[in-house]
Amino acid sequence: MARPVAAMSDSASSKLAEPDTPRPAAGVPVEISGVAHVFRRAGMETRALERIDLSVRAGEFVAVVGPSGCGKSTLLKIIAGLLAPAAGQVEIAGRCVAGPHTDLGIVFQSPVLLDWRTILDNVLVQIDLRGGRPAAYRDRARALLAKVGLGEFENRMPRELSGGMRQRTAIVRALIHDPPLLMMDEPFGALDALTREQMRIDLEKLWRERGQTTFFITHGISEAVALADRVIVMTPRPGRIERIIEIDLPRPRHKEVVTSRRFAEYCDEITECFMRHGVIQY
Amino acid sequence: MSGAGASRPLPARILTGLQQRIGMIAAFLMLFLLWEFAVKLFGIKEYLLPPPSKIWSEFLKRQNVVMAGAWTTLTEILGGYVLAVAISIPLAMAIAYSRFVETTIYPVIVFLQIIPKIAIAPLFIIWFGFGLFPKLLIVFLLCFFPVVVSSVAGFKSVDPDVMDFARSTGASPARMFFKIRLPQALPEIFTGLKIGAALSATAAVVAEFVASDRGLGYLLQQYNGQLETPMVFAIIVLLSAIGLAIYYLVEFIERLVIPWHVSQRPTEMTGL
Ligand SMILES: Nc1ncnc2c1ncn2[C@@H]1O[C@H](COP(=O)(O)OP(=O)(O)OP(=O)(O)O)[C@@H](O)[C@H]1O
Ligand SMILES: [Mg+2]
Repeated sequence: MARPVAAMSDSASSKLAEPDTPRPAAGVPVEISGVAHVFRRAGMETRALERIDLSVRAGEFVAVVGPSGCGKSTLLKIIAGLLAPAAGQVEIAGRCVAGPHTDLGIVFQSPVLLDWRTILDNVLVQIDLRGGRPAAYRDRARALLAKVGLGEFENRMPRELSGGMRQRTAIVRALIHDPPLLMMDEPFGALDALTREQMRIDLEKLWRERGQTTFFITHGISEAVALADRVIVMTPRPGRIERIIEIDLPRPRHKEVVTSRRFAEYCDEITECFMRHGVIQY
Repeated sequence: MSGAGASRPLPARILTGLQQRIGMIAAFLMLFLLWEFAVKLFGIKEYLLPPPSKIWSEFLKRQNVVMAGAWTTLTEILGGYVLAVAISIPLAMAIAYSRFVETTIYPVIVFLQIIPKIAIAPLFIIWFGFGLFPKLLIVFLLCFFPVVVSSVAGFKSVDPDVMDFARSTGASPARMFFKIRLPQALPEIFTGLKIGAALSATAAVVAEFVASDRGLGYLLQQYNGQLETPMVFAIIVLLSAIGLAIYYLVEFIERLVIPWHVSQRPTEMTGL
């Protein structure tokens, strides 16, 4: 897969700000128009995505829910410029994505840590690869790790940690450079229910502080409703947008909010979408 | 960066290492004792199976000749091995990163690998004569293929998700290589290096068998021809020791370079 290189260099060469220099209010708009994708492998065609149109406002928190295999990860990779779509295009901050977009943080479905680096160094590799000074980010990395409960583990190797702890490391790695766009592919999938709830609360807090545009993929209906400004409900493969549900609930989404009737009604609405498509059957 | 195993003090680690091997050492001692007594008890002729004590005393008598031979052989082994490593790792990189090299040169290498390398040895004598060079070449040839093949596998075995992460940072090709691809390839490269190391001593001896006037392989043939069996045994033991030393040297370097990988391997005593 040949990709134009031009787009890669532009944000990589723009100097990485030192952690304490305040950035202009974070968040970039994302415009997805007519994106479709087909995987071809050994003569087999898999239609993964079918005509996705979506515009995400700067600083918006968008959650995507959909059945397994409907193309959520594919969509994330297309937006991030890691995969060239078969049709359509993506614009981030008004510029067409052609090649990996670098001014973002990504959490993949699996932690993808580097076995040979400690937890702290795995976070700092984000800075290292961008050509920044990891030393300048050390304190910030420590603080973030402590915030997700990994303070004592910063000098351990990834294999010494549980799956959930590794995923939390990956989340910190995606946040360390304070990107204006955050893409998360089922980031809490490997976490236990309690940590998951806490991470959800922390993520909302972080997002409210920084206001980065956030694209959050999940299987959890209530998790989506609890976090998002808008929930995108997708159909089974080939994935299309079935519904877009505006979540009009007050923030922060405290316990009273997530146990309210309106919250339950939003969850019901999404569940019914899935029942209509036979994704959930009783 | 430090592996978990490296945190204990060195003397303690050597001690537990010895404790783990104490059974093995005892078994070897028993074997030698049994051997010694069996030979005496059944009156086995010396040219058939000499007792360990005889092997040792004969060795001491001629140790100057033998050590000179060992030096020659060691030069061939190390020279050929280093040559193989120096050429095969860059070549593996070229194969892994260039479609062109992969589709042109690599199939040829894979094909050549099938040729029994030892069968070519006599040809080298015709081409390059008697000296050091043809021996280096044979050691090179035997070590070269396993190192190339596993290094190519190593350089290609990058997790696509890790690559996606790296690409999303806009890392330069050099950073991508030194911070991601090379460290990720090292475990497989070392697998090849160890296979090569284990083959190198055999290669040198075979090369000397074919044609030479010095070295342990040459001495082995001489003593064998004169039915000096104790010396034949002495040289076999010495050759084994050299092979083992080289293998463990490579393994030691592996421990230094990739502690994160070594310490997650399930068993420590890997067989040759
Ligand atoms: N590299 C690939 N080659 C071929 N087919 C692929 C590839 N990646 C994904 N697919 C196919 O595309 C479809 C969508 O995959 P994708 O990973 O985007 O699903 P998903 O919605 O993220 O699923 P999940 O919730 O289980 O992670 C699947 O049917 C999958 O088989
Ligand atoms: Mg997925």
